Amino acid sequence: MIRLENVSKSYRLGKGNDVHAVSDVSLEIGAGESVALVGRSGSGKTTLLNLAAGLTRPTAGRVTFDGVELWKLSDAEQSHLRNQRIGFVFQFPSLLPTLTVLENVFFPTTLGANGHGVDAMGRAKELLGRVGLADKLAAYPRQLSAGQQQRVVIARSLINRPEVLMADEPTSNLDERTETEIMELFHDLHISLGLAFLLVTHTRQLVSPGMRTVEMAAGRIVSGAAG
Amino acid sequence: MTLLQLAWKNISGNGLRSWVVALCALLVAAFALFATLLLRGAATSLELAADRLGADIVVVPEGAQADIEGALLMGAPAHFWMPEETVRALGAIPGVEAVSPQVYLSTLLNASCCSVSEMFMIAYDPATDFTVRPWLQKRLPEGLGLGEVIGGDYIFATEGEDGILVYSALLKLKGNLEPTGTGLDQSVFLTLETAREVARISEEYAEEPLIIPPDQVSAVLLRSGPGVSTEELAVEIYRSVPGVYPIQSDNLFSSSRTQLRSLLNTVVVVMALIWPLAIVLIGMVYLMAANERRRELGVMRALGATRRYVSRSLLAEASLLAFCGASTGVFLAVLAIYLFRRLIVSSLGVPFLLPSPGSLILQVGIGLLLAMGSVFLAALLPAVRISRQDPAVAMRE
Repeated sequence: MIRLENVSKSYRLGKGNDVHAVSDVSLEIGAGESVALVGRSGSGKTTLLNLAAGLTRPTAGRVTFDGVELWKLSDAEQSHLRNQRIGFVFQFPSLLPTLTVLENVFFPTTLGANGHGVDAMGRAKELLGRVGLADKLAAYPRQLSAGQQQRVVIARSLINRPEVLMADEPTSNLDERTETEIMELFHDLHISLGLAFLLVTHTRQLVSPGMRTVEMAAGRIVSGAAG
Repeated sequence: MTLLQLAWKNISGNGLRSWVVALCALLVAAFALFATLLLRGAATSLELAADRLGADIVVVPEGAQADIEGALLMGAPAHFWMPEETVRALGAIPGVEAVSPQVYLSTLLNASCCSVSEMFMIAYDPATDFTVRPWLQKRLPEGLGLGEVIGGDYIFATEGEDGILVYSALLKLKGNLEPTGTGLDQSVFLTLETAREVARISEEYAEEPLIIPPDQVSAVLLRSGPGVSTEELAVEIYRSVPGVYPIQSDNLFSSSRTQLRSLLNTVVVVMALIWPLAIVLIGMVYLMAANERRRELGVMRALGATRRYVSRSLLAEASLLAFCGASTGVFLAVLAIYLFRRLIVSSLGVPFLLPSPGSLILQVGIGLLLAMGSVFLAALLPAVRISRQDPAVAMRE
C-alpha cells in the first residue's frame, strides 16, 4: 500500500550544514499490516513516518500510495488522500484548542469535498463512546487529562474510516497505566477494523506480538525492512 | 463546521489577539470616517452657502471681509455699514448686470423683547433682489410680505404656532429653508421694509432700539453680465469705488477654505501615519499568531486541510475581526459626529452639514472597506507564508 523507494531527507540548518535525517531508505507497508518503527531518539523514525504520510517532501527517492506517487499529486489531491485514507496520532497534544471534543473529532470530515453531515456527527459520538469519552462531548481539550486528549485524537484519526493509522510516539506524554490502555486500544482497533498500522516508538516494550519491527539508526534502516 | 464558524471559534478562543486586531480596525475605520464626514460636511456646507448667496461678487466695507464670513458661516452677528450711494456707484460700472443691497442686523443678547438671542438677520430689497428670490420662490412663491420672515433650518417659532419676537415686534415665521450647515441656518431673512418697521416698533417697546443708520447698507450683492470676468470686475470695483472691498464668490469664505485645507492636510498626515502603522501592527500580530499556531495549523494540514483552506481560515478570522472592529468604529464615528457636531463646528471654526442618508451610507461603506482591506492586507502575508510551510516542519517544535 505505502512504498518508500530509496528515500532520503535532509534539512539545511545553515550554510553548508545539512542534517541527513533519513538516508536512502526503502520500506513497504502492506494493507492491514502492523509495523513498528523503533530506534533511539534522532534515528529518523518520525521523519520516515512524515515521508510515508506525505507530510514532508523527500530530498531524494519516491513515495507511492497504492502505486500513485505522492509528490506528483497536487496539494488538493495530497490533502484529500491524507484526509480520507490516513489517520494520525501525534506525540504532542494535537487537538484544536478552540473546538470542543465532539467538534475536534468530526473536524476532519469538514475538510472533505462533501463536507460533514449528520452521519459524521453520529460517527464522532460513536467513536468517542468507543474510546470511553461519551460524557465529554462538550468539553474543551484544556479540560481533559493528557490520556483523555490522546483518546480523542484516536477517535479523530478514525472518523473518515482510514486505511492506515500512523501513530508517532503516541504514549510519550502519558503515565504507564494510560500508556498500556492506549496501546491496547490501538491493538483492538487494528484487529477489529483491519487497518494498516504504523507505530513510531523508542520503547520496544510497546511493540505488540505480531507487529513487524523495523529498526532505525542514524537515518537508516538497520533491520526489518523486508515485509 | 464552516470556515466562518471555525474562524469565529478561534476569535473567541484568543481574546487578547482578537481585541488588538479589532481595535486597530476600529481606529482606522473610525478616524477615516470621522475625518471624511467632517471634511465633506464642511466642504458641502461652504458650497451650499456660496450657492445660496447667489451673487458673483459681494461688496462690503473695507475691513469687513472677516466679519461677513463670520456672519454667513457661523451666524456671528455682524454690523458694518457703507453709504447707500455705493449701490448706485456699483450699478454704474460697465459689466455689472444687477446690484442689490442687504442690511445685516441682529437681535439682542438675553433680552425679553427678542425670543432668540443674537440671531443674525438679513434684510434685502425685494425690488432689486436677485439672490434671495430664486430659492425663496421654492418655498414662498408670493415672496415675503410686511411682518414676515423666513428662517434658516434651526429657526423655530417661539410665540404661538408661527410667531417670533424680534425687538418686541411679533414677526410671522413663514417657513424654514433647507439646511446649509452654516450660520445661515441660524439666521432669518426679511425685507428692508419689515426691518424698518421692526426698528420703528423697537424705539417704543424694546429694551434697546434696533438702529438702522439712514442711507446706509451693509453689503451689495452684484451679478456680472454675460462674458464678463468677475476677477476683472472686482479689480475695477476696488479701483473705482473707494472704501469698499469686493469679494468674488469663488474667494468667499477663503479663510474657512484655508482652514479646511489645513485640516485636510492634517488628516492626510495623520492617516498616512495611522494607516501603515495599523497594517504593520496587525501584520505583526498575525505573524506572531501564525507562529504561535504553527503546530495547530500543521495538524490541520496533516488532517487534510489544503494550503488554500489554511490561508482562507486565517483570512476569514482577520476579516471577521476587521468587520466587527470596523463596524464599531464606524458606529462610533457617526455617533460622535451627530452628538458633537456643534462642538466640532465651534472649536474648528468651520461650518458643517450632516450628509444625506445616501451619502452617509456610501461613506460608511468606504470606511468599512478601508478598514477591512487594511486588516486583510496585513493578514495576507502571514497567512500565505504559514500555509506554504511543510506540515511536518510546522508541527515540529
